[in-house]
Amino acid sequence: MRETANQFAAQGWDVTVVTIKDESWALESGVDHSLSQKVDPRVKVVKLPLRREDLETDIRRFSEQRAVSPAWWVRSLRDRQQEMFPEPNFGDWKDALEDAVLRLHKENPADLLLATCVPYTNLAAAWKLWEEARVPYAVDFRDGWSIDVIDGREAFIADSEKGRWESRVLSSAISLWVVNDPIAEHYRARYPQLADRVHIVRNGYDVDSTPVRKRPADPESGLVFGYLGTINFSVEHLRTVLNGWRAARSREPLLANARFEVRGYSGHGALRGANPQADLLLDAEADGVTYGGPVAKAEVASIYARWDAMVLILIGGRYVTSGKVYEYMATGLPIVSAHAIDHDASNVLQGHPLWTGPRGVAGKALADAFVEAAHLAVESTDEQHTKAMAHADQFTREIIMSAAVRQLVDVLGLEKGRTQ
Amino acid sequence: MINVLFISAKTRPVSVLAGSVRKLVAEGARVSYGGSVPESWMAKKLTGIDFVETHPLRRSNLRRAVDLPFGERVWLRIHSDSWLRARAREAHVLVALDDGAVYTVWQLAQRNRTAKAVNGFAPALDAVRELAREGEAAALRAFRPPVSLVVREFARRVRGLPGSLERTVTARPIMRSSIGARLWRVPLRAPAVPDKLRIAMGRRVAEAMNWAGKYGGGSYALALTASKISDPAIKAELYDKAVSQEIDRGTGPKHLDQAIQSLLAHADDLQAAGEYKDAVKNLSRALALGFHRGVHIDQLASPLAADPEAFVGRFHRSRAMQTVMTPRGRVRPAAPPPTGRPLRLLVTTNANDNFLHHILDRYRNRHDVEVRYLDMATRPSLKRLTWADRKVMAERMGGDDEHAALVEDLMRPYLDWADTVFLDWCLGHAAMLTTIDPGDTRIIVRLHSYEAFTRWPHLVDFSRVDDLIFVGSHLLDLTTTLVPQLRGPQAPRTHVLHNAVELSAFTREKTSDARFNLGLVGVGQVVKDPLWAVEVLRLLREEDERYRLVMVGADMDPKFSRATKKYRKKMEAKLAPLVEAGAVLRLGPTKDVAGKLTDIGFILSSSVRESAHLGLMEGAASGAVPVVRDWPFFAGKTHSARTVYPNGWVVDTPAAAAQRILEVNATEENWLESAELASKHALSTWDWAFVRADFDQMFLGERR
Repeated sequence: MRETANQFAAQGWDVTVVTIKDESWALESGVDHSLSQKVDPRVKVVKLPLRREDLETDIRRFSEQRAVSPAWWVRSLRDRQQEMFPEPNFGDWKDALEDAVLRLHKENPADLLLATCVPYTNLAAAWKLWEEARVPYAVDFRDGWSIDVIDGREAFIADSEKGRWESRVLSSAISLWVVNDPIAEHYRARYPQLADRVHIVRNGYDVDSTPVRKRPADPESGLVFGYLGTINFSVEHLRTVLNGWRAARSREPLLANARFEVRGYSGHGALRGANPQADLLLDAEADGVTYGGPVAKAEVASIYARWDAMVLILIGGRYVTSGKVYEYMATGLPIVSAHAIDHDASNVLQGHPLWTGPRGVAGKALADAFVEAAHLAVESTDEQHTKAMAHADQFTREIIMSAAVRQLVDVLGLEKGRTQ
Repeated sequence: MINVLFISAKTRPVSVLAGSVRKLVAEGARVSYGGSVPESWMAKKLTGIDFVETHPLRRSNLRRAVDLPFGERVWLRIHSDSWLRARAREAHVLVALDDGAVYTVWQLAQRNRTAKAVNGFAPALDAVRELAREGEAAALRAFRPPVSLVVREFARRVRGLPGSLERTVTARPIMRSSIGARLWRVPLRAPAVPDKLRIAMGRRVAEAMNWAGKYGGGSYALALTASKISDPAIKAELYDKAVSQEIDRGTGPKHLDQAIQSLLAHADDLQAAGEYKDAVKNLSRALALGFHRGVHIDQLASPLAADPEAFVGRFHRSRAMQTVMTPRGRVRPAAPPPTGRPLRLLVTTNANDNFLHHILDRYRNRHDVEVRYLDMATRPSLKRLTWADRKVMAERMGGDDEHAALVEDLMRPYLDWADTVFLDWCLGHAAMLTTIDPGDTRIIVRLHSYEAFTRWPHLVDFSRVDDLIFVGSHLLDLTTTLVPQLRGPQAPRTHVLHNAVELSAFTREKTSDARFNLGLVGVGQVVKDPLWAVEVLRLLREEDERYRLVMVGADMDPKFSRATKKYRKKMEAKLAPLVEAGAVLRLGPTKDVAGKLTDIGFILSSSVRESAHLGLMEGAASGAVPVVRDWPFFAGKTHSARTVYPNGWVVDTPAAAAQRILEVNATEENWLESAELASKHALSTWDWAFVRADFDQMFLGERR
């Protein structure tokens, strides 16, 4: 989103970003202020006082009923929220979002609204502005809505409330962005009449998040493997990865004193930093595993610079690409894949010279991959490293987003031409 | 200094707890912890964490609170704790560590109105940082609730007065006396009492009995009431509650038959009325009670093993169950293995991969097999479906198409890829997979042992399974008796294949004193019945005090079930003096079983039930002389321990076991000779070097 806004500003647009207040973001999983430092100063940011009630951790804000049965209360909250818009946790933001875009448009008429998801409730705001003021809009759908990218199946049928919302909003959108081919195929098949408006805008990576140069691997002081990203995988998935790590460490001399550093957000609300995954990681300290919590965006490059190999733990399959895979590639370090074989990240990594290949999520196969990555970390040549980084060049976020924004602006021009 | 008070209603992950306290202390906080948790957990796990104080809070409920939401129960049982009140009064941050503690923190925050009150570790840290930034923590004020809360609680108590009066006449001292308890049963038995009154009375008497610690009496009151009630729904519910509470207490349920019958009868009626959801609920409860692990798995005897036909007969007579068990077959038969390319083999399980390592290794390294491995537990969406018995049943009754669609979406890509699926453990994931037609993919399922005592084989559609593998003929016999589909025209082929175990690494030289050491490898479940081995030891030590028992493996976890807890308690009492005297060595869990076996001269199988007993096989391979109890669950049947092992290894009683050991050990030469024979037999029968040929045959057929 930051890059999208910056690209519009760079192309001479007057940009206003509507978001929620910092303390509301903090409820989710925490706030990284270093991220906003690189927002183009010409971009205006409007922060709405919306918060996710289900994630509230201040017990003084709880009713007695909620305090007595917190889980039951949240379930009934979600039911109530979906009466306004069919999305749990966010459905009741609909009115506030709609009011905000109408007010902003009144103050400073907009030529284009770009709604990004999640939450999908943002679509209601785009639709409202279209209905009331005929402001053209595009949808940055990322992982889509009617496709369940984790399980690779239809998330809801067309004849459902969500289905009707999606169909209604997309029918008038001038452009629809998704992150990979399988999701694009899904939308082109579901809405054939919109096929030419579906565009793939990959996640890409920020150049300032990549290490400046490769640190020579030092097996004497211990190789360092790293994972950086949200810890959104299951406990079982993580346990399997850790079992693979332990097995590799016990049989491979290069890994005997190796460390595995895990960084990133885990859990949200009351469980922020304290979910079962965090406990599993902290329990694995004797195996050289550490969990250090989130990393500020500004520090990402220096973290990568300390590592010798990356561990790419991903959920889902062919519909998921993730943003991590691009950033990991750009480090130029060996990559161990801990995800399904038939995963879109495998397509992106194909041809990467320091990738240990897709082997699925199984302890033994992962152990083999850790061993191979250890050897790659120590034995790979500068040439291989350079080639690995070059493999990622095509995916810098700046290049991707600048092309996407340019293309969207062109489409908007054509649309205007058609209507004038 | 900022005072932080942690409160929890259950145990918390220790590593996260320790990390959080470390961070809070670094920010200048003093952290105290009150937990409504086991004192032993506090004493053992919290040492080394930098708490100013820890304090165990009451864990038992007040009688009037038994049916309240958990959070309220917790508050009612701890609200008068003087330590809690004192710490809450001086706290600057009150922290709930779990949902059960949120209401307590909410109530305390009404009394200490300046403290921050938060839910979770990270919010606690944020609160402390905020207070530190602000400079000075708020001064302490009076510790009392606002008037509005006092008024609300008073009104609530007035509303609860009738219940309070009833509770007074069924007070704990009255119900504890056998006369009082018996007196209360009279009106439950009396004829012509209106159902409504009888039910209310039955529930109250059961509550009172339980409260007085007479749980058997509580169950009896519920069952007695159920027997006099005509409403099938309430009858089923009361029997269900009576039996559940007996199982929860770890006692053999006395009214299991009636509970199953009434739940099944009600399920049948509901199905006939087209009320599928409720029919499934009752059928599921009948199966859950009938096949409860507390009845069959964590016990030394099982009504299912004693008379399998009679036990499952009542289920099979249920129309609802018949619907669920109706085979649906497949449109196409499984295709023969491909000829122009490698066989695509999907190996799948749900978390337990203990018996898959050698199989995966072998076929991953063959050029003519392409292997994929799916652990369903690592895919949350699949994992959820693998235990969804109600959805399986509802789908088969015609009440939940969405479930089949979901399974179709999640599993079809795997089925499309695979020529053969090898699914290990015949449990919920097998039931889930057979919800859909596998197309022309060959489906092989392996059943080890305990699955036969669960409801799952009754929920698998075996007409969609091509081959069912057992690890012993005795389990094949039992399961075939239990599951009608395995005897029908669409039954899968059945096979007996030994587990894949590498035994050659176990043949090592024995230590000099091994000859007098009996070994028991694997003691983590009640069915292993280590006390049988202790009895063997006792008899041997009467003859020769050099005999010792070496126990290898993790102890049984009392948290598994109340029945496990009971057994463990009894076992600990028996073992304590023997350990003290050096007659029993408890080595605990180890990765080096082969190393431990060098000290063991006789390997025992004391179990009441086994599939093959891996520990015994490893012991035999190591050159320890095997002594096998004729596993009582199968003793006397066509196949039993006597057909799994050479007959000479198997004994009926501890006395016979002791006699065999003394005879073999009469001379060192005799012991050595017996050990060598046992080792040879083990290596030539069960070692992977031989067994793998059977798997080749299974997966690759004539291409071998």
